[in-house]
Amino acid sequence: MDLHLGSYLSWYVPQKPSRLVIHLDRPIALMELVERLKLPPAEIAIAAVNGKLVSLRDALVSDGDRVELHPPNGGG
Amino acid sequence: MAYGINGRILRVDLTQASVNTEFFDDNLYRLYPGGKALAGYLLLRELPPGTDALAPENLLVIANGLLTGAPISASTRFTVAARSPLTGAYGESEAGGFWGPELKMAGYEAIVVSGRAKQPVYISINDDKVELRDARELWGREPEEVQAAIRHELGDKRIRVLQIGIGGENLVRYAALTNELRHFNGRTGMGAVMGSKNLKAIAVRGTGRYLDSAHDAKPIVDLGRALGKRVKEHPQAWDLQVKGTPALVGAFNAAGILPTRNFRQGVFEGADNLKWEAYEKELLTARGTCYACAVRCKREVKVDDRYQVSDAYGGPEYETVEGFGGYCGVGDLQAVAKANELCNRYTLDTISTSVTIAFAMECFEHGLIGLKETDGLDLRFGNAAAMLQAVDLIARREGIGNLLAEGSKRAAEVIGGGAHLFAMQVKGQELPMHDPRGKVSVGLGYAIGEHGADHLYSIHDTLVANPDSIGFKGASPLGVEALPAQQLGSAKARNYAILENWCSFGQVVGLCYFGPAPRSFTQIEEVLTAVRAATGWAMTLADLLQIGERATNLTRAFNVRNGFSRKEDTLPERLFQPLENGPMAGTLISKPEFERTMDELYRLKGWDSKTTVPTRDRLRDLDIEWVADLLGV
Repeated sequence: MDLHLGSYLSWYVPQKPSRLVIHLDRPIALMELVERLKLPPAEIAIAAVNGKLVSLRDALVSDGDRVELHPPNGGG
Repeated sequence: MAYGINGRILRVDLTQASVNTEFFDDNLYRLYPGGKALAGYLLLRELPPGTDALAPENLLVIANGLLTGAPISASTRFTVAARSPLTGAYGESEAGGFWGPELKMAGYEAIVVSGRAKQPVYISINDDKVELRDARELWGREPEEVQAAIRHELGDKRIRVLQIGIGGENLVRYAALTNELRHFNGRTGMGAVMGSKNLKAIAVRGTGRYLDSAHDAKPIVDLGRALGKRVKEHPQAWDLQVKGTPALVGAFNAAGILPTRNFRQGVFEGADNLKWEAYEKELLTARGTCYACAVRCKREVKVDDRYQVSDAYGGPEYETVEGFGGYCGVGDLQAVAKANELCNRYTLDTISTSVTIAFAMECFEHGLIGLKETDGLDLRFGNAAAMLQAVDLIARREGIGNLLAEGSKRAAEVIGGGAHLFAMQVKGQELPMHDPRGKVSVGLGYAIGEHGADHLYSIHDTLVANPDSIGFKGASPLGVEALPAQQLGSAKARNYAILENWCSFGQVVGLCYFGPAPRSFTQIEEVLTAVRAATGWAMTLADLLQIGERATNLTRAFNVRNGFSRKEDTLPERLFQPLENGPMAGTLISKPEFERTMDELYRLKGWDSKTTVPTRDRLRDLDIEWVADLLGV
């Protein structure tokens, strides 16, 4: 699975990567992934799987998916 | 003289070739402590309504804020204001960099430039020594050469130069000013006002210290040090430093609100080529900063590949990446960087330039203009070469560029045939790269903002939508409510009004949007501490918000006197229509709901909902009842 951590979500993960490649043996809840990476759910404003917006609480992700997580963003 | 300020205003009359210094009363400075407030005060009192923006009679006010030059991250901003040649309304633009702090060190809070020089000149300020100098040899030359020539002529490499390029000289209505070649007062055409005065540059060298005038230097020094350490520990500040604003491309594209092809779409198929990861790989050479700022959000770039991009003019920010990227249908970051370099070289506002070019592209694709009008330029979405050529033509006012240099609103009036529907502007100023269909407060700001569409009037809804988020917690001292980003209504109007006052306060005192919470890492209580330490004034947070609100009322009064009313406080029709693609396809702003929210906003502001004239009661509450006398209310 190709995971993109937008803007400051990288900050919460060791080495602060913008992109992580993660192997999944089975589909898991997106929230499980978020908890595993210790990302604070309150900072995830946008979750997209394969280009479609999903609910952070309800989505499942599988190996081979492209997952994007972004925090709330303001002006710039 | 009060603490924190030196109170001196420099008056330069270019017609008379005279220079005078006057002192601004302490009590007045407390009401109008710099930036937007000081500029609004001076323009409202001194500029007769109806003055032609490009006539010698227009006044160009350059004003520092109370905190400009304090050794605290993000305390670098200065305001340039005048009647705008783009909008006919109050015009204003802030920039960071080093020039504002240098002016503070030279001992001035503001410069008021009037008249028109007989031939090109520049102003040289070296502490108390101020002179007008011949700029005939500098006219028409590029900013990099001009900066070097002025430093050479005056024999000091540390001189800071604020200047216009050929965009300003040729009176492009959205021409910008640049300092240090990479910091811009971009919006509302202040560069054209400077050009109309035959004023090429203002060179400043100052030897003072901000802290010498402070009431209590220690809390300011302590805060500056604390922020320097905090920058890597705070997610938002870390993000601004490491990725910077270009990271927004990926977020907005995923959310389906990346302004694409003139706000028709919210997803750009070429966005992967414009994202932060591509930027880092294709463009980035280093990170830059402004005076005393630990955030270091500026990008340095150089390209020697498909395009040649000089490293002299800084890298594109998000607005520019998307404006010349997906907004014009161009998925080539190097072409975007070239467009950015050209705009910076010519001193054109990248937002208005890119949005006006996209407007022309849509007119072209609909057959409202053709190859005859464009002199053979195939101005279709996605044609990067045509886009770059259009930038060049605009700066030189040649061919189709002469029309587009007037801005999209005026160009649409000339083109006719429904072209106005493609002009994404408010009060004549082009929209930035934020789609209000996904965050409605941005639309409230576009509509009600005094100087036309601008994305920095208030805080974007998304930052205060989740009560557990860093953004919301940062904003909580202001008393805002956590509300969904797309929700209109009275609660949203209240949030907007509070956050607008907070942002306006920042523009008064010289704070960058990327310093204070909720967008970044300086906590709101710390801003209050800095103001108290600088001035010794026993201020509360409510007082700071009132400073912001007072400044907005001054600029609103300026607009009312120049004939503006509710009918100009609106949005382009397209935003009330559905997005065409992506996860937000079909999403629109409900016009009736938007208008009801605007009604509530006027009520909260104490303004008449039809005329937008502030009530005497509200002006009295803000200690500016003289404005009510001026408006006859």
